[in-house]
Amino acid sequence: MRSVHGERFQPYANPYTPAERSFEDPLPVADSDATGTQLIRLRPLPDETTVTAIDVSSIRLGETETGLLCAIRGVIVWKEKGQYRYLRLGPFPFHITEENKREIYSLFRQYSFERPEGMMTPSLLNIQARMGNLFERWLQMCVSSSCRGDLILWDGSLTAGTVDSPVNVVSQLLEIARIGFNSVLAFSKVSRLRLHGHRIIDLLGECQPPCLLEIEDVHFPSGPIRLLGDIYIAKFSRGSCSFRLDIDRRIPREQRLEAMQKLLGNDVLHQGYPETLRLAHIFSTFTASEVIGIQRYVAQEWGLRMVTRPNVRRLLFGPFGKGPEG
Amino acid sequence: MRVYRKEGNTVQILCFPSESVEKGDYLLIEDLKIDRGLIAQVIDVHFANVPGILEELLRDSASDEELFGESFDPLEVSSHVNHIQDAWMLICKIRGCVENGKLSVNTSWLPSRSQSKVGKLPMASLSTLAKIDGTLPISLGEIKESSHLIIDAHALDGRLNIVTGKKETGKSHLSKLLALSLVDHGATVVVLDLNGEYTNLGFSSNGEENKYRSKIHVLTPGANLRTTLFQMDLRVMLNILFHALNLPGTSAREFRRIWQFLRERHNLTLDGLGEAIKDWKCNQQVRDALFSRYHSLLNSGFFTDIPAEATTLEEFFDRIQEGGALIINLRDVSVVDRQIVVEYTLGKLLELFTRWKLRAVFLFAEEAHLYLRETYWEDIVTRMRHFGVFTTFVTNQPDTIRENIYRQADNIFLFNFTNERDLETVSRAARVDAETVKLIAQNLPPHYCLVLGKAVKDFPIVTRVRALDVKTMGQTRLFFQ
Repeated sequence: MRSVHGERFQPYANPYTPAERSFEDPLPVADSDATGTQLIRLRPLPDETTVTAIDVSSIRLGETETGLLCAIRGVIVWKEKGQYRYLRLGPFPFHITEENKREIYSLFRQYSFERPEGMMTPSLLNIQARMGNLFERWLQMCVSSSCRGDLILWDGSLTAGTVDSPVNVVSQLLEIARIGFNSVLAFSKVSRLRLHGHRIIDLLGECQPPCLLEIEDVHFPSGPIRLLGDIYIAKFSRGSCSFRLDIDRRIPREQRLEAMQKLLGNDVLHQGYPETLRLAHIFSTFTASEVIGIQRYVAQEWGLRMVTRPNVRRLLFGPFGKGPEG
Repeated sequence: MRVYRKEGNTVQILCFPSESVEKGDYLLIEDLKIDRGLIAQVIDVHFANVPGILEELLRDSASDEELFGESFDPLEVSSHVNHIQDAWMLICKIRGCVENGKLSVNTSWLPSRSQSKVGKLPMASLSTLAKIDGTLPISLGEIKESSHLIIDAHALDGRLNIVTGKKETGKSHLSKLLALSLVDHGATVVVLDLNGEYTNLGFSSNGEENKYRSKIHVLTPGANLRTTLFQMDLRVMLNILFHALNLPGTSAREFRRIWQFLRERHNLTLDGLGEAIKDWKCNQQVRDALFSRYHSLLNSGFFTDIPAEATTLEEFFDRIQEGGALIINLRDVSVVDRQIVVEYTLGKLLELFTRWKLRAVFLFAEEAHLYLRETYWEDIVTRMRHFGVFTTFVTNQPDTIRENIYRQADNIFLFNFTNERDLETVSRAARVDAETVKLIAQNLPPHYCLVLGKAVKDFPIVTRVRALDVKTMGQTRLFFQ
């Protein structure tokens, strides 16, 4: 951040726009060649199992003459003995320029399992999302290595082989979790995956909740994409949403189902979505007033002068000038 | 502080709690480029409409009850976020303009939103700019920055004033302060004291005589305030009969004849009047009507046939030529007798003014609706004012004073009201906008007064009324001692 001192920056008019999360469901919009489905009825299994959820948000604060300003925050929420607790880390504001992006990116990567050689620093356009992703992986690693016998909820899927989710990174995270007898369950709110032309999250239709639909033997014919979890469609409460649920496929099937039933028995499921994960999302999300507060921090602590750049689209096209500024 | 918006006469200013601005404070919005400044008064303080605040509050409310946790915020960014969330929007009314260091009323321009400097205008500076203090200072009380609000006694001279507020907020205290301050400047003050609250003004709070002792004269009807019929003017007596005792017109005509008959025979006494009514050739009903009024006059104890027992107001006014107050103590006086006394006093005052025996008096009337007849309201704000009766009405029931009185009031000393109807009534005053009255007066603590009108050169100012070292408390009888 020291490099930013005295620069002017352009705060974003719509601070609500978070970074695109590319890893929630990175499967291509295509039918899989799954061989079949199996409906599984679930029964809540209440015990004292701790449910832990992790979520990370990043947000763009504005632009400077040389780069961009963004902020990251991570949250871990866990339910232990009927009590929800949380740990919020951040917000951490960053000023990323062409000059320092490699340094910052290396800093984030040193805590991941990725090999440093051959590292490609993302462009300024993508670096915010990448940093958020690396921070989330770091939190997942911390939780996986420190918990024992817990249910660990991730926001997203267990699909690996993308820039954000290299196979070796996700595999090692899952392995660390397994060593601690933890079960990793990844929830995707939206999925582009289709089966026989239908969106998989629509497949449960009128089925009586709580239930799971197991999508068996999903394979992708080519490319680097690997599924490290078995894919399920979860519908936990009546009249509510279904979610794609990935469970570590290296966990025995019985243990997977037991993990699901423990989740039903030990966490509140509002609209069929785990409360711990919902709280993690709520506590990590940046509100508009926080964005203004962080912009103020950056302006005060680093002596930035606020400038408003003209919206070229608006200037050229008036009310027809839609889309992002610039 | 930053200018956010201006609509009509209202300016909205963004501010943070650390700037410690309160309702009633004055701000100067300076546009340095054009060397002009707007004087605006804060009439209300809102939370700024910060985007995302609802989400923030919802999130925090969840953490209050069911969630425990901590935040690792090494850069302490959250303090900045809290700062934003606590931002205030000051609702201000434009009161004037400063051009080249002088006060002006030209507020038809707009200061720069981006370049203007907004700061608190110290009360002392405002007072100097507006020339609120004058050659005859009256210190009303404390204002911000440890200074005092000093008004000019000239601002009360020839003016109609109203002191109003709910019970026990300090109205009577202020009117005593005003009365004594006027006495200090050599003015003649008459107080229609409904509850005997002003009778001890000549004593300090410890019971010892104070500097006003010789200047305060308490006149109690029936005791040291009595008069003979001979001293009375027929017109005053007829006013008493008409307005206080509701004598019908026919009977009044007979009374006039009787009065003239007795005056010609130099027998204008209570006994003479009684005998004359008894022997007067007239309708029996008229005689009965006259007799019942005669007995009312007799029973009031206000009239006497012994000249030595009678007092003349002229005599008292002579005693306070260098400044003083006549307190007409109406405590424990019946409604009818109270009206008789007030009719007499006001009639006598007019008589003295007409004869140029008196220059002017400051009349303080507490809860005037309890003894002032309907037609006097008009008289007081129009005719009597020209004669030299400058009235200050003191009431905790603002709706008992007519709207036209508010409209013509030159100064209003407003204490706290919580009832919106009361505030609505007071807000009809012409010297200030309704919003100022409603928004500021509603939050005034006891003994704080919003001064409106000429006394403060139309810059409404909130003051904490200063204490007086006089025995001021009304003697309310209590069950539990």
